[in-house]
Amino acid sequence: MIEFRKSIAFRLARIFSVSVILIFFMIFGLYYRFTRRMIEKSTAENAKNLTLGTVMRIEGILRSVQQVPENMAGVLERGPVEKKQLLALIKSAVEKNPELYGCGVSFAPYSFDRKSLYFAPYYYRNKDSLSFAWLGGENYRYFVSDWFQIPKELGKPQWSEPYFDTGGGNILMASYSVPFYRKINGRQTFAGVICADMSLQWLREMVSSIKILDTGYAFLLSRNGNFVMHPDAKLIMNETIFGVAEGLGDKKLREIGRDMIRGKRAFVRIQQLDAGRPGFLYYTPVTSAGWSLAVLFPWDELMADIAHLNQLVLLLGTVGMLLLFGVVVSEARAITGPLTGMADATAEIASGNLDFTMPETLSQDEVGMLSRAFSSMQQSLKSHIARLTETTAAKERIESELNIAREIQLSILPKIFPPFAGMPELDLFAVLKSAREVGGDLYDFFAMDDDHFCFVIGDVSGKGVPASLFMAVTKTLFKATAVKDTPPEVVLGKVNGELSKGNEKAMFVTAFLAILNTKTGVIEFSNGGHNLPVVIRKGGSVEYLRQTGGMVVGAMEGVEFERGTMTLAPGDRFFLYTDGVTEAMDENKVLFSDERLLRELKLLEGLPVKDVLNRLLAMLVAYSKGDQSDDITMMLLEYQGPKSARINPAASRG
Amino acid sequence: MNIAVKKESNALVVTVSGRMDAVTAPEFEKSISGFIAQGEKVFVINLSGLEYISSAGLRSILACAKRLKELAGKLIFSGLQGHVKEVFAISGFHGIFKICDSDAEGLRAI
Repeated sequence: MIEFRKSIAFRLARIFSVSVILIFFMIFGLYYRFTRRMIEKSTAENAKNLTLGTVMRIEGILRSVQQVPENMAGVLERGPVEKKQLLALIKSAVEKNPELYGCGVSFAPYSFDRKSLYFAPYYYRNKDSLSFAWLGGENYRYFVSDWFQIPKELGKPQWSEPYFDTGGGNILMASYSVPFYRKINGRQTFAGVICADMSLQWLREMVSSIKILDTGYAFLLSRNGNFVMHPDAKLIMNETIFGVAEGLGDKKLREIGRDMIRGKRAFVRIQQLDAGRPGFLYYTPVTSAGWSLAVLFPWDELMADIAHLNQLVLLLGTVGMLLLFGVVVSEARAITGPLTGMADATAEIASGNLDFTMPETLSQDEVGMLSRAFSSMQQSLKSHIARLTETTAAKERIESELNIAREIQLSILPKIFPPFAGMPELDLFAVLKSAREVGGDLYDFFAMDDDHFCFVIGDVSGKGVPASLFMAVTKTLFKATAVKDTPPEVVLGKVNGELSKGNEKAMFVTAFLAILNTKTGVIEFSNGGHNLPVVIRKGGSVEYLRQTGGMVVGAMEGVEFERGTMTLAPGDRFFLYTDGVTEAMDENKVLFSDERLLRELKLLEGLPVKDVLNRLLAMLVAYSKGDQSDDITMMLLEYQGPKSARINPAASRG
Repeated sequence: MNIAVKKESNALVVTVSGRMDAVTAPEFEKSISGFIAQGEKVFVINLSGLEYISSAGLRSILACAKRLKELAGKLIFSGLQGHVKEVFAISGFHGIFKICDSDAEGLRAI
C-alpha cells in the first residue's frame, strides 16, 4: 500500500489546492484594493457634500448677521443721527434678527458729540426680552479692546475670535465688528465700530449634528486654530489644533492645521487624532469668518463592511478549499483505485498465477483502457505460454523421436566386431559418429558367400533427418543388391538406378563398395564419387588407393560405374572413411586434410584396428573442439590371410 | 559465401566465392532458382574463389542441374581450384558437367 502523502490522489489534491489558493488570493487582493479605493473615493465625495452643505448654511447665517451692522453703518455714514433714533435703530435690529444676541454702536471718543468720551449704546437679549446698557466707563475703556481696535486698524469689518461671554450666561459667542466713518471737512474720518454679537449655540447644534458612522464627527477651527466646535468639550476654546499636534508629536497634523487656517480644502488620511485611530479628514473653509470645518471618518468603521465581507470571503474560501480538496482526493481515488487493484493483480500474474482475474473496469477513460490492455495482455500471455508449452512439448517429442530414430539408425548398422566368428580371415572395426542426432553416413559389411566378403561405406549429401532417411534406403538397397556373384560396379549401377528415380531433391550418396575374396585377398571395388580409401601395407607404405572417381550414386540415371581391382597381402589393412574425417575443421576452419590423415595412420600403424579408429576419433573430436560439422565414419579392415594360413591367431577370438 | 553475377550475351556468369556447405548451399540454390525464374537458362559458374565445397554444396549444384535439364538449359563450370577440383573429381561431377579453365572458354563452349 502506498503512503497517502505519496499517492496520486494526495499530490493531485495538493497541486489543485495550492493553485486555487494562489488564484483566490490574487483575486481577493485585487478585489480588496479596488473596493478600498472605491470606498475612499465615495467617502471623499460624501465628505465634500456633507461639509459643503454645512458650510453653506453657516455662511448663510453669518451673512445674515453681517448684514445688520453693515446696513447700520450705511445709515450712520449718511449723516448725523439723533440719539433716540439710533437707539431705536439698534433695538429694532436686535428684535428683527433672532440670530443676534446683541448689537451695539460704539463711537470713538468724542465722536458722537463733543461731550461724551464714551458713547456706546448696546441692546442684548435677556431671556425673552431685550435689555439695554451703556458700555464704557472708567472700568471699561472699550476703545482699547481688540474688537474695537482691530476693525479700526484694518479698516474693514472683522469677525472676532469666538469667546465665552462671561457676563451673559457663559455662552459661546462671536462678534462681527464693522467700522464706520464720517465726512469731516471732506475727509473720511473713523467714527466708531458697530458690533453684532452672535450666540454660537446654533453652530454647536449644527456641527454636533454631523454624525459620521458610529464615532465619526465634525469640528470647527477658528482662524487661529482654536477648537470652536468639537465633541470633546474640554478642547473648545481651550486648545488649538497645533497644541493637540504638539501633544501627539504629530507633524502631519500640524501641517493639516496650518492648511486649514489658510483656508485650504483637502481630503487627507490621518494617522491619529483623539483615540489614536487612523482615519480620513476632510476640511473646507468657512470663508467669511476665516474658520475651517472638518469632518473625520474613522478608518475601521469605513472599512467595517469590507472587513466583514473579507471575513466572509475567507471563511467561504476556506470551506470551499476543504471541499475541493476532499472532492479532488475522492475523484483521484476513484481514478487510481482501479490502478491499485491492477497493480495487485499484475503482481499476482507476475508471480505466475495467469488465471487470476483482472478487476473489472467499465470506465471508458485511460484507466479503463489500461485495464483492458492488461486483460488482453494477460490473455495473450496465457495463450503464448500455452503455445510455448505446446511447442516445447512438441520439440521434446521430436527430440525423443529423434533419439529413437538415432537408435534405430545405429541399430541397422552392424556393431559386432570382429563381425563373424566363422570368418577368421579378417579383422574389422568401424565407428560412426553423427554430427546431429541422426546422420547421413553409412557403412555395412556382410558375407556374400563363404569366400566373398562385401563391405561398403557411404555418405549421403546433407545432414539430419532427410539424409538419415536416404541413408536407410541406400543401406537397404546395397544389402539387397549385393548378392552372390554380383560385381561391385553392377551393385552401384543398380542402386544408382533405384535412387535416382524421382529424386526431386537431387539427393545422392557417395559410396565405395568392395568385395574381398577371403581366399586370395583380392579386392574388387567400385567407387561412386567417394573419398579414396587408404591402403596400409603391413610394415610398408600408407597411401591412397589410385583410382579415378566414378559418379556419385543417385544423382543421375543410367550412369556406368567402373570396377577396380587390387590385392591385399595378409596383414595389409584397408581404411575407409567419409569426408567428415578429412574435412573436420578446427576453430579457424582449417581442414584436418588428407595429408594429416595419412600421417596419423602411419603413426598408428601396428595398433589393433579398434584402437586405431578410437584414437583417430578422439583426435578428430579434439581437433574440432567438440563442434563437429559433419558425420564421421571410419572402417578399418585387416586381411589376415586365408583360413589355412592365418597369421594372427588372436583374430579368431569373439 | 558470396555470389556475384555478370550478364553476358549468351549466358549468365555467376561467380561463387567462399564456402559452400550445408549452411550456405541453400542460398546458392535459391539464387540460381531465382535467375531461372527470371528466364536464364545458360549459366557459367565460376568457382575460382570457392575454398570449400561439401556434399550439401554438390547436392545444390545437382538440384540446379536437374531443373536446367528439364528446361533444356546448360550449366558450365570454370576456374576450379584445389579442394573443389578434387571434390569434383572424386564425386564424378567432372564426368557429367562441362568444366572449363576460364569463363571465356566456358562462354565459347556453349
